[in-house]
Amino acid sequence: MKLNYNTIKAVSIIGLVLLIICGFMLNGKKDPNSPGVEFMPDMYRSPSVEVYGVTKFNGDDIYSTQFMPVKGTIARGYIPYAYPNTPEGYEQAGLYLKNPIASSAEVLAEAQLLYTKNCVHCHGATGAGDGKVGQKLPGAPPAYNSGTIKNLPEGKIFHSITYGKGLMGNHASILTTEERWKLVLFVQTLQGPKETAVADSTAKTTPAVAEVKKEEPKH
Amino acid sequence: MSSIHKNPGNSARKNMYNRMFHFSFKSLLGIAMMLVLFSGNIKAADGAKLFKAKCAVCHYSHTDQKLTGPGLKGVFDRVPPGDWINRWILNNEKMIKSGDAYANKIYTENGKAAMNVFEAELKAEDVDAIIGFLKGPAPVVVVPGKPAGGTGTEGEEVKPGIEPLYLVLGIIVLLAIMITTFRSVRTSLQNSANRTEGKPESPDLTFFEEAKLWMSGHRRFVGVMCIIIGFIGMKSCWDACYDIGVYYDWETNKGYHPEQPIKFSHKIHAGDNEIACQYCHNTVEKSRHAGIPSVNVCMNCHKGIQEGATTGKDEIAKIHYAAGFDPADPNKWNPNDASKQHPLAWLKVHNLPDHVYFNHSQHVVVGKIDCAKCHGDVKAMTTVEQKAPLTMRWCVDCHRTTEVAMEGNAYYDRLHKALKEKYKGQYDVKFTVDKIGGLECQKCHY
Ligand code: HEC
Repeated sequence: MKLNYNTIKAVSIIGLVLLIICGFMLNGKKDPNSPGVEFMPDMYRSPSVEVYGVTKFNGDDIYSTQFMPVKGTIARGYIPYAYPNTPEGYEQAGLYLKNPIASSAEVLAEAQLLYTKNCVHCHGATGAGDGKVGQKLPGAPPAYNSGTIKNLPEGKIFHSITYGKGLMGNHASILTTEERWKLVLFVQTLQGPKETAVADSTAKTTPAVAEVKKEEPKH
Repeated sequence: MSSIHKNPGNSARKNMYNRMFHFSFKSLLGIAMMLVLFSGNIKAADGAKLFKAKCAVCHYSHTDQKLTGPGLKGVFDRVPPGDWINRWILNNEKMIKSGDAYANKIYTENGKAAMNVFEAELKAEDVDAIIGFLKGPAPVVVVPGKPAGGTGTEGEEVKPGIEPLYLVLGIIVLLAIMITTFRSVRTSLQNSANRTEGKPESPDLTFFEEAKLWMSGHRRFVGVMCIIIGFIGMKSCWDACYDIGVYYDWETNKGYHPEQPIKFSHKIHAGDNEIACQYCHNTVEKSRHAGIPSVNVCMNCHKGIQEGATTGKDEIAKIHYAAGFDPADPNKWNPNDASKQHPLAWLKVHNLPDHVYFNHSQHVVVGKIDCAKCHGDVKAMTTVEQKAPLTMRWCVDCHRTTEVAMEGNAYYDRLHKALKEKYKGQYDVKFTVDKIGGLECQKCHY
């Protein structure tokens, strides 16, 4: 077709109409379930394995959360926990496990923050078991300063935070070992003074006790 | 005293004392009896209260439903008669060790999950009160906060109407049909008129030829129309470009809020139940990603809470399925056994392109930025919605205006000193993020 004045005019009109349609199409009502038009989608969805991404693996969809570390892998700085998740392990932890972290105002302030983030919704701010979620559980958690929990040794507290106990889930996946020990210190402040004289000496943090603690790992 | 006795006029008084004594004795007796009655009442109530305080963490009282321990419906038909159950409640450990057959049977049946020893906490009467409660009728359960009408989901309103695009397309198609039919009608009418008048038939013009004829007759109108239409088209295209790669409506401040595989409501969890954001998004302070909680974290509460306030059991059952948890047999659940688990495909709402590096821990821990600053009031959202445009301009604007919290922030001590040195003698210098390199390209793109 010879390019003349008329065809140029006609083409420009059609072009204009397409432009408007295009504009309307892109500006149309949004579907809340659609992430919209992506500019260069391969920049949003990379071929490499992403956190929480889905990857094709041997033709199957594999969620990256399903990948397990290679058997025997140990994260840097990770020390395996020696006591098994059994009633015997619980008792043993109560007898032999000691807190490697000495209490101080700083550590306790940090521990209180950890406690507000991780425990308050069940155990309540004062550890009375009156957290909003705790109240909705079939049975509210016991108050730290009541019954047998009041005299719970630090090893058992650590063991229970690590593995969970009864309705309380395991918190090892969201708290590091160090954080859990700090929480033990804070829970001890909520337990109040221990009733037995022997247990009392461990609750205090005199320099002498700190020294004793340093020797603990030997046995 | 003796003087009173000697005085005969005092006998009446004495009588009165006597009567008063009698009266007070009687009333005391009454009060004592009432106390006994009352204390009986307190006992009965105590059973329920004691059960809630000491036992309910592990047992349901009047159902078969297992918790950590078995449901206690019909225990009295199961256990050996006599005071077996009293002894069991007070010290189950001793009974298991002593080799009691039934004690050992239930111990192994329930996965050797040890029950607490209550000897130190409960007296014999307390145990009787609890047993009395268990033998009595089931307590009436009040479900708090169940909304009267509707499920409380703020679903998108579906407005009846036609998409503007289809409207325009429809009008164009309609006009095209009308133009072609009218044209052929007109030509044939004119030709028949021409034939009767003996004139030659008018030439069969194509659409374009005719359009050209019409337009050359209305040059000014056509020109103006072209400019207007062209402008509208370009403007709408320009506006649409704002939305490419950004799922965000700039006018309504509404963003992407897809339906998730589980109808998880942040309003219920973070709002009503006041669970801290960091409990579930627990890597936010340690890593680049805020983290989507593993089901194991969901199960920390949903092992116990198996029915929700708005969606009942349906949605929580999905968590149990994903975690490989069987509510009928909770003790068998092993959080580390991946073979029974089913991954949950949560949809990522806040998505940055791959070529942008963003680090949560940097912003939250060092920068002390509140979650809500970028994510909006998530505590009030039923379905999470993207509240910020997440464009580069948005990042840069914030970096230009936000002052770095440097005071008392050990991370910045050295830098703060250097900056103070650099801007010495200048007033009104704000140490905003761009002053410490927050606008350098390679900070976020590398
Ligand atoms: C899901 C709600 C929940 C959360 C969150 C929770 N707990 Fe518990 N916790 C419980 C319940 C329920 C019990 C009672 C368990 C039992 O004795 O069966 C309990 C018991 C305990 C005990 C006593 C354990 C024992 O050996 O008797 C300690 C100590 C404790 N929790 C500490 C913590 C700390 C520290 C945190 C924060 C990291 C925490 N809990 C978070 C619900 C919770």
